[in-house]
Amino acid sequence: MLLTFTQWLQATGLFSYLRGSSYTYPVVLALHMVMFAFFGGLILLTDLRILGIAWTRYPIQEILEKTRTFKKHGLILMLILGFLLFGCKAEEYYYNAFFKMKLALLILLGINYLIFRGSVYNKGAELDRMPTAPGYAKLAAALSLFLWIAIACSGRGIGYIEPPLEKLHASVVPGLSTGQPSTPVAFLFRRG
Amino acid sequence: MLLIENPLNSSELVFPVLECFHIVGFAFSVGTVAIVNFRLMGLGLTNETPAQLWKDTQWWTLGGLILMIFTGLLLFSSDPDNYYLNYAFLLKMLFLVLAIVYNYTAVRKTAASNPPPGGGKTVGIIAMTLWACVVFGGIFIGFLTSTLDINHI
Repeated sequence: MLLTFTQWLQATGLFSYLRGSSYTYPVVLALHMVMFAFFGGLILLTDLRILGIAWTRYPIQEILEKTRTFKKHGLILMLILGFLLFGCKAEEYYYNAFFKMKLALLILLGINYLIFRGSVYNKGAELDRMPTAPGYAKLAAALSLFLWIAIACSGRGIGYIEPPLEKLHASVVPGLSTGQPSTPVAFLFRRG
Repeated sequence: MLLIENPLNSSELVFPVLECFHIVGFAFSVGTVAIVNFRLMGLGLTNETPAQLWKDTQWWTLGGLILMIFTGLLLFSSDPDNYYLNYAFLLKMLFLVLAIVYNYTAVRKTAASNPPPGGGKTVGIIAMTLWACVVFGGIFIGFLTSTLDINHI
């Protein structure tokens, strides 16, 4: 059933269109990574602060409160961009072990948030009243840090798995140029 | 033909593992730089002054940069021809130098001067755009199939 879904998804008008250009996929992927660069720092800031490793001068409450909206919007953008990447070759991802691992890790991250939302992420002021964050708060932060790094690494791993070409019904137009350089940036370096 | 074998190429796992460290270094460097630049734009940790944020992130930024550049050099060494003949790689290096120089001149100076709210907006936007260009360059390295002709270099 999941396989049928991925085949249907990638055959929809939107994703057939996106797949038609060899620029779309790398541009969306780059934007996905830009989000990671812009908002990953806020996750590091939060987790390392709760762990007591860095930025201990700043109240936990201040960091949680001031970065919350940002992280939320960054995550939503990352998920949308990630879904666009997935849709372009959904069937191929269905066979990709690292993709499945990444999804499982994302679900674990969601569970981590749900479990500790009431006791850690919404209780910054209370944590600040203690000399150091209690064990359960540090556990939440350590898990978050580990899961985010594992998500980034499994994301990178996706690209290393050879797709089972004989089973696939669609693929992204390969390569940005064949023969003569034809990308816009190519002209900057073209000679003769 | 050189007969020197790069030990990094002895295992298929070395490259992907190095890439993971490269990504972690990048999250630390650009991520902490983003905290300062967002503050210059009047966003994020607005209770703190930009100067204070610069002070508190600078060693994490530097550590991330060192990890990123060191692993980057190792990745480059695995197949130099594949990189220096690649336009995306050349552009990435150009933007990387610009982003680092800009960070340690304009961003550093602006943050130290504690501009009024929103006063460092332009500097923050330029800095983050430069870092975004570095990311774009990095992604496109793997998507370009044709390279520069070695005979024309």
